[in-house]
Amino acid sequence: MDTLSRRKFLQLTGGAAIAAAAPMLTMEQIAQAAKLRPLALGTPILVVITLYGGNDGLNTVVPYKDPLYFQARPDIAYAPGDLLPLDSELALNGSMTGMKALWDRGKVAIVRGVGYPSPDLSHFTSMAIWQSASPIHHISSGWLGRWLDTQARDPMLAISLGSVLPPLLAGNNVAGSALPLGGIVVPTGSLALDCQRISAATTTDSKLMATAATSLRNLFDLSSTITPILQQPAPQPLDLPTADGGVAGGNSDLQQQLDVVAKLIAAGSPTRVWSVSLGGFDTHANEKGAQSILLGNVSASISRFMSQMRGTSRANDVVVLAYSEFGRRVKANASQGTDHGTSGPVFVVGERIKGGFYGDQPTLSKLIAGDLAVTTDFRDIYATLIESVLKSPANAVLDNWKGRTNFLTKV
Amino acid sequence: MDLQRLETARLFARFGFGPKPGDFANALKAGVEATRSQLLNTPQYDRGLATVTDPELSDLGNFPPMGSAARAAFNAAMKSQRQALLLWWLDRMALADNAFTERMTWFWHGHWATSIGKVGYALPMYLQNQTLRTNALGDFKTQARMMITDGALQYWLDGGANTVAAPNENLAREFMELFTLGVDRYLEIDVQAVARALTGYRVIRSSGAVTFLPKKHDSSSLNILGSSGTFNAEGIADLVVARDDCAQFISDRIWFRFISSTIPRPESNPIKTAFAQRDISKTINALASSSAMSDPQYSLVKSPIDWFVGLCRALNITPSRLAKPEQVINFLDKLGQVLFAPPNVGGWPSGEAWLTAAGAQYRLQVAQLLLANGDTAPIASLPSPARFDAMSDLLGVANWSLRTERALRGVLDDPNRLILLAVSSPEYIVSA
Repeated sequence: MDTLSRRKFLQLTGGAAIAAAAPMLTMEQIAQAAKLRPLALGTPILVVITLYGGNDGLNTVVPYKDPLYFQARPDIAYAPGDLLPLDSELALNGSMTGMKALWDRGKVAIVRGVGYPSPDLSHFTSMAIWQSASPIHHISSGWLGRWLDTQARDPMLAISLGSVLPPLLAGNNVAGSALPLGGIVVPTGSLALDCQRISAATTTDSKLMATAATSLRNLFDLSSTITPILQQPAPQPLDLPTADGGVAGGNSDLQQQLDVVAKLIAAGSPTRVWSVSLGGFDTHANEKGAQSILLGNVSASISRFMSQMRGTSRANDVVVLAYSEFGRRVKANASQGTDHGTSGPVFVVGERIKGGFYGDQPTLSKLIAGDLAVTTDFRDIYATLIESVLKSPANAVLDNWKGRTNFLTKV
Repeated sequence: MDLQRLETARLFARFGFGPKPGDFANALKAGVEATRSQLLNTPQYDRGLATVTDPELSDLGNFPPMGSAARAAFNAAMKSQRQALLLWWLDRMALADNAFTERMTWFWHGHWATSIGKVGYALPMYLQNQTLRTNALGDFKTQARMMITDGALQYWLDGGANTVAAPNENLAREFMELFTLGVDRYLEIDVQAVARALTGYRVIRSSGAVTFLPKKHDSSSLNILGSSGTFNAEGIADLVVARDDCAQFISDRIWFRFISSTIPRPESNPIKTAFAQRDISKTINALASSSAMSDPQYSLVKSPIDWFVGLCRALNITPSRLAKPEQVINFLDKLGQVLFAPPNVGGWPSGEAWLTAAGAQYRLQVAQLLLANGDTAPIASLPSPARFDAMSDLLGVANWSLRTERALRGVLDDPNRLILLAVSSPEYIVSA
C-alpha cells in the first residue's frame, strides 16, 4: 500500500504553481468578533474532502454488470456479490456501507466521469488543476481561495485541518487558516507578550518575514476563539450503532479531522469552508485491500459526520464534497494495481442533496488511449457549490465557467 | 542592509545548517570569499562527524506471521532500526563541523523523495542515503544511474512489479517528471516506453538488493524521446540526463531550494551553464558565487529540519543523546518534516506552506525542549549588554528588524528567553 500522506501536495515541481497568498491582516478584533457572532443558523457550510493519490473510480462505483470491467482487471475486479448495488448497472465498493445508507436515504449525489479536458496524469499537475480550477494556465491561487478574496476578511471563514495549508485555500490576497489536530496550545503570561512583540507588523519585513510574523500572531488570535471549543467533546453521532457497518480499523485519521470539524460547526464557528484530506490512494500495487480500507474510512467518516450533524441544528446546512485528482487506468497492471488514469466519480453528500447519479458513466467500450472519457467537468460542480452553498457569484472565481450540476434542492 | 553579513548568513543557512558557536564571528573576520571557500569544500577529516557512529542495521528478512512471537520481536527491531537511522542522520547534520555534504544529501533526499513509510525497512533507506551522500556533489549522470536501480526507490515506486506483460508506470513517470526532466517535457508514449525499458529488475525489500533478470527484461526496440534502440535502466538514465530539459529542470530545483521558492530562476544566473557537464559541485559553486547570493529579494523560509538542526548546532545538542529522542521525532512530525518520510514522491513543501499558526506553536514547544537540554553558555556567560550582538552571531542572523531588536533587548537578563524569542523570530525562521 502506498503511503501518500494526509499532508498536502503543495506544488513542488518545475513550472507549477505555489500556494502563495498569506493572511496579511491583523486579526485581534476579528477573532474577538468571531467569538461574539456565531455563524447564523441556516448558513450553508461546505466541507471539502481531498483524496490524495488518485482514487480508482472504477473500483469505487463499479460497473458490475459490464463484462469489459472484468476483462480489463481480472485480478482486482469485484464479484457482484461483494458489492453494494446502487442500480442495475452500478454498485458501490463493498466497504462503503455508510455511504450506501446515505444513498438509500437520497442524500448522496454521485457525479460520474468527472475530470477536465486533456487530462494530465501527473499527481502534482492534476491536483494543482483540481485545486486551482485552472486546467490550462498554471495559477497559484485555489478556487476557494479566490472565493475568500471576494469575502470580508475573517480568519475563521475557511479552515484546513493539519499544519500545512492546501493550495485550494490560497487566494490572491488572503488565505484560509490551518489548524492542527488536537488544537493549539498557546503560550501565556510574559512569553505571550514577548511573542506578540516579536511578531508585531513592521514595514521593514520582507514578504516572507511578514508572513512568518503573521503566523505567530495568528496563533494568539485564532486560539482565543478556537481553543475553548476544541476542549469540548465531539458531538455524539445521533443514530449510528457504536460499530458502524462492520468497517474495522478504529479511528481513521479522516475521522479525527471530521470530529474536530463537527465540534467547531456545532459550536457555531463562523466558518463557511472546511478542508480535510486522506492520502494513500496511489494504488499501483496490491490495490484491492488497500483501497477498500481507505474507502471504508471515507464512507464511515462521512456517515459518522453526517450523523453528528443530525444531532445539531446545522444538519441541513452542511454539504460534503469528496474528490481525488484523477481516476486510474482501466486495465490493471501486473502488480494487482492500476496506473494513473483520467476521470472518476465525485461524491456530494448532504441533507439538501437530491440523491442520485449525475453525469454520464464513461463507457468501457470507448476508451481514449486506455483511459476513461471525461463526461463532466469538475468546474460544473464547483460552480454549483459556490452558488448554492457559498451563495456567491461563481463567475469571478471560475473565470465565467458556464456549466452547472443541479444536485442541490432550493432552500 | 550589510551585504557582507547577508551573504555570510546565507552561506551558513543555505549551504550548511547554520553556524556552530564561534563560526559566524570568525567568518565575518575572514571575509565572504574565504568563508565561501571554506563552507563549500568538504574537509578530509571532520572532527564533529568523527564522533557519529553508523547505525547498527541488519537485514531483518520477511515479516513473520501476524500474532506470532517472532512478529513482536520483529516489529520491535524494525522500530528500533528506524529510530537509529533517523537519529544517526540528525546527529550528522547537527555535529558536522562542515555540514555542506549533509546539506546536499538532504537536498537530494527531498529530490528523490523516498519514504520509509512504504519501504518499511531501515536498511535500504540507509543504503540509499549513503548513495546520495557519495554522489551528493559528484556527477549527476552517475547519481541518476545509481538511483534508478536503487533498492529503496525501486520498491517505493513499484519497480519490481513492472513486467513485460503489464508494465507498471510509476517509476518511469516519476523518474522523468520529478527526478530528471520536469512535467510536460515528455509524452505519455515516452512514459509507456520507459516503463518497458525498466522491466526485469527485482528488489528484495528487506535488504534493498536489486537484481537484473535479462529474461524478464523487455529488450524490444523502443522509441524514447525521439531516440530508438534497446534500453536498460542505465541507458534510460543516460538518455534522459543528457537532455537540455534535464539541465533546465535540475537548475530550477536547485534554485528553488537554495535561493528562492517564490521567485523563478533568471536565465542570467550561471547555474544552468555550470550544470552543462552535469557536475554538481561546479554547479553549486557557481550558484553560491553568483550575484543572487547578495540580492536581498531572495529570502527563503527554513524548512522544519533546517530550523531544528540549526538550533541543535547553536546549542551544541546531539539529537540522539536527548533524554527522549522520540519526543523530538514526534515534534518533527507535527512540524511536518521527518527525515526519510517525505509526504509523497514530490518531496516536502516549501516557503509559506511552513508558516502557519500551528507551525509557530510547535516551533515554540521544540525550542523550549531544546533549550532545556542545550548549552546556552555562549550567551549566558556574557554580561547582559554583550548578549544582543552575540545572539545575532550565534544564530547567524543577517539583520534584526527594530521590532525584534527591541523585544530581544527587553529580555537580555534572561538568556533562555532571549534565545527562545530569537529562534522564534521572523528573522530566524526566514533566511533573509
